[in-house]
Amino acid sequence: MAGRVVRYLRIATLWGAPLLFIGYLFVYPLTRILAESLTGEGFAQLVDRERFRNAAWFTIWQALVSTVLTLIASLPLTWALSRFNFRGKQLVRALVTIPFVLPTVVVGASFHDLLPQGVLAILAAHVFYNVAVVVRTVGGVWGRIDPRVEDAAATLGASPGRVFRTVTLPLLRPALASAAAIVFLFCFASFGTVLILGGGRIRTIEVEIYQQAVSFLNLPVAGALAVLQLIFVVAALLVANRLQRRIGFDLAAEVSLPPPGPRHRLSVGATVFATLGLLAVPLVSLVGRSIERRGWAGLTGNAASALSPVQAIGNSLLYAAIATVIATGVGLAAARIIERRGGGWLDTAFMLPLGVSAVTVGFGFLLALDQPIDLRGSFILVPLAHALVATPFVVRAALPLLRSIKPELREAARVLGASPSQVWKEIDFPIIARALAVGAGLAAVVSLGEFGATSFVARPASITVPTLIFRLLGRPGTASYGTAMALAVILAAMTALLVLLIDRLRGSEAGTF
Amino acid sequence: MLSVKEVSVVFGTKVALDRVSLQLGQAEILALLGPSGSGKSTLLRAIAGLEEITTGTISFEGRDLAGLPTHVRGFGLMFQTYALFPHLTVAGNVAFGLRMANLAPAAITSRVDEVLQWVGLSELADRRIERLSGGEMQRVALARTLAPNPRLVMLDEPVGALDRRLRERLVEEMADSLREAKLGVIYVTHDHDEARVVADRVALMNEGRIIQTGTYQAIVEQPADAWVADFVGSS
Repeated sequence: MAGRVVRYLRIATLWGAPLLFIGYLFVYPLTRILAESLTGEGFAQLVDRERFRNAAWFTIWQALVSTVLTLIASLPLTWALSRFNFRGKQLVRALVTIPFVLPTVVVGASFHDLLPQGVLAILAAHVFYNVAVVVRTVGGVWGRIDPRVEDAAATLGASPGRVFRTVTLPLLRPALASAAAIVFLFCFASFGTVLILGGGRIRTIEVEIYQQAVSFLNLPVAGALAVLQLIFVVAALLVANRLQRRIGFDLAAEVSLPPPGPRHRLSVGATVFATLGLLAVPLVSLVGRSIERRGWAGLTGNAASALSPVQAIGNSLLYAAIATVIATGVGLAAARIIERRGGGWLDTAFMLPLGVSAVTVGFGFLLALDQPIDLRGSFILVPLAHALVATPFVVRAALPLLRSIKPELREAARVLGASPSQVWKEIDFPIIARALAVGAGLAAVVSLGEFGATSFVARPASITVPTLIFRLLGRPGTASYGTAMALAVILAAMTALLVLLIDRLRGSEAGTF
Repeated sequence: MLSVKEVSVVFGTKVALDRVSLQLGQAEILALLGPSGSGKSTLLRAIAGLEEITTGTISFEGRDLAGLPTHVRGFGLMFQTYALFPHLTVAGNVAFGLRMANLAPAAITSRVDEVLQWVGLSELADRRIERLSGGEMQRVALARTLAPNPRLVMLDEPVGALDRRLRERLVEEMADSLREAKLGVIYVTHDHDEARVVADRVALMNEGRIIQTGTYQAIVEQPADAWVADFVGSS
């Protein structure tokens, strides 16, 4: 009897915890946003204001232009990395990835003052951030096209240009489309970068949601914009998904690539150095400005004021720890449910927080979490928001390995005398442990850099490093500017360190199973 | 010792086991012989408690096993695919059942050594599973199944995944070991020679039913029906 009660309790927590989490922190706030926009006639207000039409229009065209520019900027390096073997290639690939893992606020801070605030700075930051997406997505395919296929075309009389147009490009097209869709989506939902580099005058829909909700307290309009954004993003995700599924060519598992011959040595070298050089400029200048503006001294200087850098760093670390624990626990429970039930709507439900913008998550928290107890003044909203945004990463990391465990393995353990909980402890857990650690690491990275949701829910006492950087950038005076730069350097270093750790975990995983 | 009475297992509309009855005596080796898909594996899984039976009873030493979960039955089952734990070493796999039985670490170590020596794998104790050959994996799986001294041993096509020459050698070895161990054994195979070499008695299965039981010799000499005659005659 007691055993049965324990069993029911375990099932209740396994199912209840993740469902309660996603229901209360995600589904319920979203419905409140929708209700707010409908009852306050938010949509009616949207239609006849030029301001919103401009924001929507700017969101779309800047995302398109950013995508085209990113493709142009990344393709030479993608070519060099996928067609030739040379020393230091792995290092080049790792260096290119750095901008992508940096928090958006760090990217914003890096371009702040490097270029005058405005559209140009925003586009440059978007390209900087997304080069890695193209290099990885397109390079993954290009690097596996056998060079002999191209040679064959050449022997059939095709000039190099024609080989590219008639053989290489058609093979790359699905990967190019998929990379473009991902970049477009990131730029479309860009918030932190636009907020910092647009100076408040240039607005995407995301920025507009923030301003309507926080500055003008026009919640119905903010809600309507959030719904609009959600529709756009889901549509874009569906298109991206479609495109991704079509990378169906038979590609070689491994292609041995030649070193660049005399004809290509110069162009490969120039491409690598030019791209890396351009990517380094904002980061080097960020470090330079943090020293030049005496930012490091300012870190401990105004510890007494409400905006203390030391306290923000402490907060960020604490919230990252809490968010990582919650996201790992909930993500693991969710992965177990999805694995047993075969996915379906649950799978989608736990992936949606990724698709919905962080701004919407933060806005939803502010709108909805006054019930049953008012959490809106509490610091706990910050790590809860981070955990919500990070949970999909944990699920994505753990699920494939959980699914790879053959049922027979668990059955063999049962036959050998393992109870259900022992099967979990002895079989499932050790097998997925490393992937789970990777997921937890990603959750920590997400939490450390999270800005969109935090900008809504952080109070002065619960300010994090990214939100403090944003506040400091908005203040007059060199002192706060320097401090912002120094904080951005610290945040970048913390993120890079974590990503390095995750990469090592991942790397050794391949050799184990 | 083991008594299976009128057991049926139904998956949806498919009848996997159709009123199967079977007796296994103390230290008897019974071969379950039949073509693939005849329900042999399902019967093993039902006895192990991995498959819920729709009707009938399975009892062991007079005790009905209904409602008794797999992990407390104390039976050994060796899977056709071995189902070795990829995250454990050879010794770790063999020790698993002993750890689940809460044996003292010293007792576990000495039993693992003993069993590994017995199957001739002492040298490979610390090796990872993915670095074993097919034959080595087979022996690890057998060692893991026998290490906890199960009350009943079930082997599901234990050499089915190996090539012919290795198979013949291992079957002889295994038959000797199993006799020596004086355990009750159910040995599933679709291979007549294996059944003949290994088993005291053979139960012929087809389409979820046991068609005939007896010594291999008796079945060959007096087949129960045309199907049996055809099946044993074709070897």
